[in-house]
Amino acid sequence: MNKVLFFAHLRDAVGAESLSVAAAGKTVAELKAELSAQYDLPRMETVMTAINEEFASNDEVISDGDEIAFIPPVSGG
Amino acid sequence: MNNRYSRQELFSPIGRDGQLQISRKHVLIIGMGALGSGSAEALVRAGIGKLTIVDRDYVEWSNLQRQQLYTEEDADKRIPKVIAAKKRLTELNSSVVMEAIIADASVSDLLDWAQNVDLIIDATDNFETRMTMNDVSQKVGVPWIYGACVGSYGISYTIIPEKTPCLACLLETVPLGGLTCDTAGIISPAVNMVVAHQTGEALKILVGDVDSLRNKLVSFDLWKNKYSAIQVDKLKKEDCPSCGKERSYPNLSFEKQTKTAVLCGRDTVQIRPGVPIVRNLEMLEHLLINQGGTVQRNPYLLSYTMDSHRLVIFKDGRVLIHGTKDIAEAKAVYHRCLG
Ligand SMILES: [Zn+2]
Repeated sequence: MNKVLFFAHLRDAVGAESLSVAAAGKTVAELKAELSAQYDLPRMETVMTAINEEFASNDEVISDGDEIAFIPPVSGG
Repeated sequence: MNNRYSRQELFSPIGRDGQLQISRKHVLIIGMGALGSGSAEALVRAGIGKLTIVDRDYVEWSNLQRQQLYTEEDADKRIPKVIAAKKRLTELNSSVVMEAIIADASVSDLLDWAQNVDLIIDATDNFETRMTMNDVSQKVGVPWIYGACVGSYGISYTIIPEKTPCLACLLETVPLGGLTCDTAGIISPAVNMVVAHQTGEALKILVGDVDSLRNKLVSFDLWKNKYSAIQVDKLKKEDCPSCGKERSYPNLSFEKQTKTAVLCGRDTVQIRPGVPIVRNLEMLEHLLINQGGTVQRNPYLLSYTMDSHRLVIFKDGRVLIHGTKDIAEAKAVYHRCLG
């Protein structure tokens, strides 16, 4: 299983700080698409991803036990 | 040790040498909203040699809750932010050389301003300008510090050319149009936390202590009590069009420069003339009074209200059209009033 953490407005959209998801073997992009459809998450393609506190690109494959965090690059100043 | 910088000199990573370094440096801040106000005040108090501040907007009442340099009088008189900021900053430290520029940061402007500075601090509210800043930083070889916030959430990252990944390396899809800024509001502690991260890194860069830089993208949520710092080193892309081996600086190309922009959370459209012009506001005032509606003018801008729209016309030709998010409607109003 994988712990998935949500920041900023994504947390509000999901309704929880984190979810437990079986994401092993999926790419970051696949997980994004899945969660995006399930929770109606806006513009997931622009959101940055960390796996175990390290930046991950969209084609990175997730392993069992990895902790994934979605970090939206906001623009307000 | 009782001079005005004594407490900063007692801090050993800065010391007297560091203070001397700071006093010789020139920083450029793009945007003088909440983040810009905070960074500018910190650097001016710290004794920066020269500070250039740029902003296209004027002070409004809704700014006062978090934009620490501005007063009720500034909002009342709709003083351009950089003018109000320069006045306040000069009161705080008269030895700093201050340059205040009322402008929209275009590609050519940014390239120009970046030539003679040691650091660029991002305090803008949109990714279009940030991506331009990113490529300018790479082209000119000047570091820049990304910072942004919304609600109780904030994010910051320091980009050092030829060393760290750039913002284009990190963003596979650039979130143009901005994310959530017009709905989620903002609280001042989130602003201050981003400012602390930006100015902390700025001081390290200014005194030349590059080994102490964070090298991580930091994000936090002060209300949800979350803090994360993620490693980004391996993200530097060989084929990045902005910082890679065969770079083309895509964000500096002409096609990327829009002439109209819907301003984040403001129910406002900005129109910038294709060719540079200088408007005679006094003449324009007489003209518009004859068209009906109400006109208000200060030395920097003219505000004209007619029906449900309010136009704010700057000397450099830029016009803000309040009361619409629709670019076509804004253009219609623009041409109706200004020809
Ligand atoms: Zn890059």
